[in-house]
Amino acid sequence: MAKILIPTPLRQYTEKQSEIQIQGATVGEVLTALTTRYADLRKQLYSDAGALRSYVNVYVNDEDIRYLEKDKTEVKDADTLTIVPSIAGGSTLVEDAVATELTKEEILRYSRHLIMPEVGMEGQLKLKNASVLLVGAGGLGAPLGLYLAAAGIGRIGLVDFDVVDHTNLHRQVIHGTKDVGRKKLDSAADRMRDINPNVKLDLHDVALTSENAFAIFRDYDIIVDGTDNFPTRYLVNDACVLLGKPNVYGSIFRFEGQATVFAYPGGPCYRCSYPEPPPPGLIPSCAEGGVLGILPGMIGVIQATETVKLIMGIGESLVGRLLRYDALEMRFREYKVRRDPECPVCGDHPTIMQLIDYQQFCGIPQQVTNSEPLKGELDVTEVKQKMDRGDSFVLIDVREPHEYQIASIPQARLIPLGEVAKRLSEIDPDAEIVVHCKSGGRSAKAVEILKQNGYKNVANMRGGILAWSDKVDPRVPKY
Amino acid sequence: MIHIDEQPWREMLSHAEATYPNECCGVMLGAVDELKLVRLAVPLENVAEGSHRARYELAPEDLLRAEHEARTRGLDVIGIYHSHPDCDAYFSETDLKNSCPWYSFVVLSIYDGRFRNANSWLPDAEQTKAEKEEMTWPKS
Repeated sequence: MAKILIPTPLRQYTEKQSEIQIQGATVGEVLTALTTRYADLRKQLYSDAGALRSYVNVYVNDEDIRYLEKDKTEVKDADTLTIVPSIAGGSTLVEDAVATELTKEEILRYSRHLIMPEVGMEGQLKLKNASVLLVGAGGLGAPLGLYLAAAGIGRIGLVDFDVVDHTNLHRQVIHGTKDVGRKKLDSAADRMRDINPNVKLDLHDVALTSENAFAIFRDYDIIVDGTDNFPTRYLVNDACVLLGKPNVYGSIFRFEGQATVFAYPGGPCYRCSYPEPPPPGLIPSCAEGGVLGILPGMIGVIQATETVKLIMGIGESLVGRLLRYDALEMRFREYKVRRDPECPVCGDHPTIMQLIDYQQFCGIPQQVTNSEPLKGELDVTEVKQKMDRGDSFVLIDVREPHEYQIASIPQARLIPLGEVAKRLSEIDPDAEIVVHCKSGGRSAKAVEILKQNGYKNVANMRGGILAWSDKVDPRVPKY
Repeated sequence: MIHIDEQPWREMLSHAEATYPNECCGVMLGAVDELKLVRLAVPLENVAEGSHRARYELAPEDLLRAEHEARTRGLDVIGIYHSHPDCDAYFSETDLKNSCPWYSFVVLSIYDGRFRNANSWLPDAEQTKAEKEEMTWPKS
């Protein structure tokens, strides 16, 4: 006779006995004999269909019968059987119901996918059961949103808090002219629902922060980075590594873009390649440096392709390869990227275990909410008053000549920032000087250069020519 | 109703806070009379594959050892505890689908590495719903 140990909660069905001696040559026979003797126990161990419940494991001595011969596992007299439940869980809130078939409408819609054996019904169901988070509904988010919705991803999350404006339209093709002034989330969601009403959309109308990133990322299989700034890029990377979710990365700059997959098991993360952020201001944003409108289309489509490949588990992914694209040369180049065992977040001995302050990490000063002019700054209206009074002062525009062609202030003299130091002889050291650029960043640098060279009376025109257009002369176009 | 004694409660709290931002898990040993009394908490390894940020899994072998341990001490395994980093002490769909109706499931909510709240849950046999169980612990 074998001995069977009954866990505490089940003893109420075995007349309080914790050990029972039962006859049987196999595990199946022992369990049948046991549940015949204690009929109420049967419901605890077996489903109505007569199968052992999913959470019931049976051990013969210290071996799980799943790795022996299951219910055919032989039982000898001295053996001890133990019933042990299998237990797991986790805080994941959304566990989408698993789809096992496509509707007739879906079969028609995805037919050109379905007839390719690499995708087929299996691949399309994987897409339907997948969830993808797009961080940013801008340049990269536009093609991503369009194509991932069309491809039939079951659930797509969008994170964005921005509003569509005219300068977005040359590249963010998910938004139209009629959408200017609307939330990007609403505009993108309308377009995606129109493309594919089967897709469930989660709209996260927030700025991604260290405080909310885990809670937002948690419910998605794959995170796609469509952000345009370094703090968020590091935040997305670290949150992906810490949560164990792949980060499908893309970035764009003027005529060049790059894409890869970070934070995939065994592969590198963003920090392996870029341990430290560049100094603030070194790499201009799209607003500062410009971008070819078509470029994010190319890079976003590469990200979308990698995303569906990861979900379906087909082809060769960009894990470990950074793909760079140059639109002017019309050339792709590929670079190997490797996981750094010393990486502070994904390395063998990580030092970053939680999300940090990424603004501070990237050297970006806390946003000044105070809109009072700083010392050495002039408001555009003050500059206009000086002009109207006929004050004697020199207005210097430190933008580039091609920007001057777009919009300019007639009284201003153009000396691009890069030439200021060389052309000091053209600037009277005793004159009162006001400097402006597009929005105030470059002119602040010019003010510094002039002060270092002994100019005493120098002021920065706050908000640049954009503020001039807003407050002084609306005929000056904004760009 | 379930009550957790001071010593196991401290054990569970420090386990959950030390494991943050990942999920921790363990078993609670004690006695069942009119109320369930937890007298010993045993931290166990989270053996879930991949990230532990929002997942936990108990090794059946560990549970088996805990059963034996309980028997030798004259106690019973009466519940399982695990933590929810940066979210509340609800019984998630994932918790429910991988639960077992024989135990109390205590969930500890940990925000920013600090304990915030806890609940005990009693899942049903079909893994379709879990009832909240009244729970008390030493408040200090």
